[in-house]
Amino acid sequence: MDVDEEDFVFYGTPIEREEDITTRKKKAVAEASGQLRSVVPWKQEVRDEEGRRRFHGAFTGGYSAGYYNTVGSKEGWTPQSFTSSRKNRAEIKRQDIMNFLDDDEKEELDNRSLATSTQFDTFGFTAAELARQQVEKETKKRPSAIPGPIPDELIVPATESIGVKLLLKMGWRRGRSIKDSSATLLKDKEARKNFVASSADNKSAKSADSELVENDTEACSYSPTDDGGIPKSTPVYVINPKQDLHGLGYDPYKHAPEFRERKRARMLGTKETNPQKPFSVGDGLFGFKSGRIAPGFGIGALEDLDVEDEDVYAPGYDFEEFQIKEIEEPSRPMIENVKLLGNKESGFLSGFKPASNSDYQLERYGPPDIPKNFVPRHKFTAPLDVGNKLSGAMPPEVPPPEDNSLRLLIDGMATLVARCGLLFEDLSRQKNQSNPLFSFLFGGNGQDYYERKLWEERQKHKDRNTLQLNEQKFQSAEKMTAENRGRILGEKPLERSLKNSATSSSSADNVNLQFHLSDTFTTPISFSGPAEVVKPFQEDPAKQERFEQFLKEKYHGGLRSKDVGGSSKMSEASRARERLEFEAAAEAMEKGKRVSENKDPSRLFGDVLPTTGLQFTSGVLEQVKIGKEELVKESKLPKREEYPWRPSSLLCKRFDLTDPYMGKPPPPPRPRSKMDALILMPDPVAAAVVEHQMMPVGNQSSSLQAGTGDKAEGFVTEDIKVDAENIERPVDLYKAIFSDDSDAEDENNNPAVPGEDPEEKMEVANKTLNRLIAGDFLESLGKELGLEVPPDVPYPENRDRGMPSGKDSKIAYKGGKDMEQRVNDRSSDSAGGGNLMVSEMRQTGHEGMIHWIGRSNPETSNPANGRKMAEAGILERSGDENIEPAATKEEKKTKSATHQHNNSGSDSSEDERSRKRSHHRRRRSYSDSESSDSSDDSRRRSRSEGKRKRSSREKSSSRRHSKHHKHRHRTSSKRNSHYGSDKEHRKAKDRSRYKD
Amino acid sequence: MSNAGVETLPKKEVNILKGHEGAVLAARFNSNGEYCLSCGKDRTIRLWNPHRGIPIKTYKSHGREVRDVHVSPDNSKIISCGGDRQIFYWDVASGRVIRKFRGHDSEVNAVKFNEYASAVVSAGYDRSVRAWDCRSQSTEPIQIISTFSDSVMSVCLTKTEIIAGSVDGTVRTFDIRMGREISDNLWQPVNCISLSNDGNCILASCLDSGIRLLDRSSGEVLQEYRGHICKAFKMDCCLTNTDAHVTGGSEDGLIYFWDLVDASVVSSFRAHSSVVTSVSYHPKDSCMITSSVDGTIKVWKT
Repeated sequence: MDVDEEDFVFYGTPIEREEDITTRKKKAVAEASGQLRSVVPWKQEVRDEEGRRRFHGAFTGGYSAGYYNTVGSKEGWTPQSFTSSRKNRAEIKRQDIMNFLDDDEKEELDNRSLATSTQFDTFGFTAAELARQQVEKETKKRPSAIPGPIPDELIVPATESIGVKLLLKMGWRRGRSIKDSSATLLKDKEARKNFVASSADNKSAKSADSELVENDTEACSYSPTDDGGIPKSTPVYVINPKQDLHGLGYDPYKHAPEFRERKRARMLGTKETNPQKPFSVGDGLFGFKSGRIAPGFGIGALEDLDVEDEDVYAPGYDFEEFQIKEIEEPSRPMIENVKLLGNKESGFLSGFKPASNSDYQLERYGPPDIPKNFVPRHKFTAPLDVGNKLSGAMPPEVPPPEDNSLRLLIDGMATLVARCGLLFEDLSRQKNQSNPLFSFLFGGNGQDYYERKLWEERQKHKDRNTLQLNEQKFQSAEKMTAENRGRILGEKPLERSLKNSATSSSSADNVNLQFHLSDTFTTPISFSGPAEVVKPFQEDPAKQERFEQFLKEKYHGGLRSKDVGGSSKMSEASRARERLEFEAAAEAMEKGKRVSENKDPSRLFGDVLPTTGLQFTSGVLEQVKIGKEELVKESKLPKREEYPWRPSSLLCKRFDLTDPYMGKPPPPPRPRSKMDALILMPDPVAAAVVEHQMMPVGNQSSSLQAGTGDKAEGFVTEDIKVDAENIERPVDLYKAIFSDDSDAEDENNNPAVPGEDPEEKMEVANKTLNRLIAGDFLESLGKELGLEVPPDVPYPENRDRGMPSGKDSKIAYKGGKDMEQRVNDRSSDSAGGGNLMVSEMRQTGHEGMIHWIGRSNPETSNPANGRKMAEAGILERSGDENIEPAATKEEKKTKSATHQHNNSGSDSSEDERSRKRSHHRRRRSYSDSESSDSSDDSRRRSRSEGKRKRSSREKSSSRRHSKHHKHRHRTSSKRNSHYGSDKEHRKAKDRSRYKD
Repeated sequence: MSNAGVETLPKKEVNILKGHEGAVLAARFNSNGEYCLSCGKDRTIRLWNPHRGIPIKTYKSHGREVRDVHVSPDNSKIISCGGDRQIFYWDVASGRVIRKFRGHDSEVNAVKFNEYASAVVSAGYDRSVRAWDCRSQSTEPIQIISTFSDSVMSVCLTKTEIIAGSVDGTVRTFDIRMGREISDNLWQPVNCISLSNDGNCILASCLDSGIRLLDRSSGEVLQEYRGHICKAFKMDCCLTNTDAHVTGGSEDGLIYFWDLVDASVVSSFRAHSSVVTSVSYHPKDSCMITSSVDGTIKVWKT
């Protein structure tokens, strides 16, 4: 056997015998292959791949790990010695996963990462990298002569790649080309040439290096040091030779590679592609619709292209065409120019041929062919501007026709036509075809005269126009020099009060100014012209006179009496008819001037106005309109308005100013529309009315003091107030919505009213109806404006007997002198309450309320008024506040029976009213009606109490009650103000946080 | 007098500041006229030395075009606004954004510092003028003024007032000290407003190609300057440093000089190839910068 073995040659590695494998391992392998399935599951053992039993069962030690279930090893477990990280931070060793891995696991991990074998490192990159790493390591270990990292070029891989090895084995030597030498040489030169000429746009980063290398190769092709050895004889870039005029290494498309494609397409000489339609780069990227986007930048990928991204500044031409133009582009036409020059002068340059078709062509267009029958004159149906264009020569002077009326007619017609254009003539010609008087328009009698007159009028008109223009110029110049120059120079204007009065007055000024302006710019002759001339009512001289008067008034405005030209003798109906007739005639005359002008407002107004007494017709509008042509700019004078504006306190602080509104309630909000202003703005009329209203109260008190004790006295004051109410609409509207509750209720409680006649009932019913309508309107208006419509204005409601102050006075008559005192008391009290309430309102900053309060503030002198207002204020602000104590609610329930009784006891008209009231309430929101009901009831109760028993004791109790009311209000207002201050306080805190 | 003034008008082009890609929307001198800031459609703000013609710094952070820029009196902060509806508060030296004020509902047209650079007032397309606080950390507006009925194009600040011009035709003065608002309706969309150096007049450029000189105390139009084209773009106008002339750009690239008093065109010349968006006059010298849609800023001197 031994001898045999000596003779044998063994190849390969012998396969291990089965016996050599440990039984343990065999078992494991068998187990893995699933051969031991025969063993019942509970007898199977879990073993690792080494065959060791690791799991011992849940009750016999669990999972064994480490060295016999210890953390350590056979040698024992030594804990890592503690090293303070304080002193030697640098030495702290990072814990690595490798520290915790077993050997086999490490091996596994290593296997997972791919590494190149140096064996197949064809180009030597990996070797170079390794060498570099090695060098780095070495330099770290020992100080190098050259500080810093060693340049890459100095490091050469120590190993050779397999390719080099192979080549060397095949007989290749370094520094030689692989190809046969002669061919290589030639090709090399070519390549080099190409390379020099090649365009830079295809140059890769590598090419810079290779360029150097190649140069070296060329210079010393047999140099043994040439390690880059294998000449890259056919560089890729030769495919794209350099053809542009850019500098070497300059890539115009470096940052815009999308243009390279485009250029290539062009370089291919695709003439057939439409040059007018360059494919847009933007199209692909963003898909702009307009294509007119600001040059140079796009928008973010996530943003949409909006309208504002478009280049609003872009002129008419296309930017893209612009961008495509390259630097070398203009050179071509230049060369061609030279060529053309050469062509012209001395044939062709040597080496050049004349181009068969040059793309440099200037397209020339000949003048258009004029048709033979073309007449170089334009014909207008109607002249645009008659005044400036005087047609033809002046017609010969013609004696006027004998007929005086005809002469007048012709004169007037000519004036009109001159003023309004030929259109008027056409119109009147159409209208008066059958009228023999107008025959001069159709070439009949007096045509010559008409033409002459027309010409004269036109001349005149033109003169006037120029005159007006001059005047205008002069005026503007004068305007400048007089006072404004001084202002420009910084002088103080002389005692000139600012126009900071109410807006209405300023607007009135404005109108006035316009009026003056129009007055200066429109000559009165032009207006009286049509009135004098056209006489549509010639057959009736009186009528004609009236018509003229009518026209005059129409155009000039001002006050006029209706008794004109004996029209007073006529009946109303015939007068109206005549007026209509006049209107129609005037309109017909106007039509010539302003064809497409709708009916002017003043006339409409005139129609509506009743024709009794003096009438005011506003001529202003008319005149302004006529003067429009001249006043297009001048009529738009700057308009100044002034409003209160509250800067925030922080803003004041930042501007280093004291807050003008410091501690003051906020200013009333600006009315947001004209309608709003109409209702809410304090206008002079209203102010006057307020003053007016204050007087009656004074009257009343004086009458009380005088102790006349007459009912009539009270009614006198009431009458005055009725008048005031008639004038003052706006407040009435508010009252209309909200006050019917209270006054109806007052009526309920005052059955003993004098003078309950049907006429009054009618009036009351009408009024309520009006109020309902007005209330609806106001509510919707409020909604539209987003404004909270304030609740009931407790306007002195004296017309009806329910006015509390009236009641008071009545009581006073009965109660005598001491009651007088009481009234005064109450008035002062309630006034105070009202004021408190006002301030409370302001503090809560309730919008829309403020106007109202501001309006009715003067009225708080009225005692009951003040109280009511306070109540209203509470009603308004509390759905939740529950000002009504629970006790009063209880009372209300108990008293409701009496209240019912009271209601039933009232008469039919009151029933009707209450029905209306309930209807009105239904329109309100539920919670609102709830609260108002409750308070109403309480009030009603107190009243009824006071009314039922008129003993002084009861009165005093009612007074107490009212005082209780007042007290309540005051506390509530105090509370509110407290809230307000609290809020202020908090705000201030917030602000202080912002402060630096 | 006017003749003497005409000679001193800056009509000679000294420098061209190039760098903006696309339209330059505004160019402004700083408070002492040494430097200027420009902003444009390329979303950048650039700081220049116009006298030497060199760019100094570029501020990039805006997401859309920058419409207006203003530098604080101490030259340490910049405020800018633009199409991204934000107002950026920059630190000049570091070029970083200190704060962004958000709140405008659409593009912000103009922005200005107040005297102490403690607050900023901006005017936006959302018909509002907003005041912002620079002192605190708050980015909420101090106050919102929304009485305008159309886009607010321009805003000017005095020591006590905020003046803003709007497309609704009004120039509104908000007097902080008096707590009132004065609205002067010019009936023409107001494009740009500019205060005279004495503070007594407002120059309001309207979109009917007319610049109007408004007396602030009375609200009267003292003079109207015409000849240029201003119909569609936001363009600036201003008075010269001596208040003797009014200057403004035109949509055809011309610069106009008017005599303040008699409103005659004293001089006009072609400055740019496209719309002149902004003119800014040196506070002391006879020097002017103009910016244009053609992407250049030009410095003009006598």
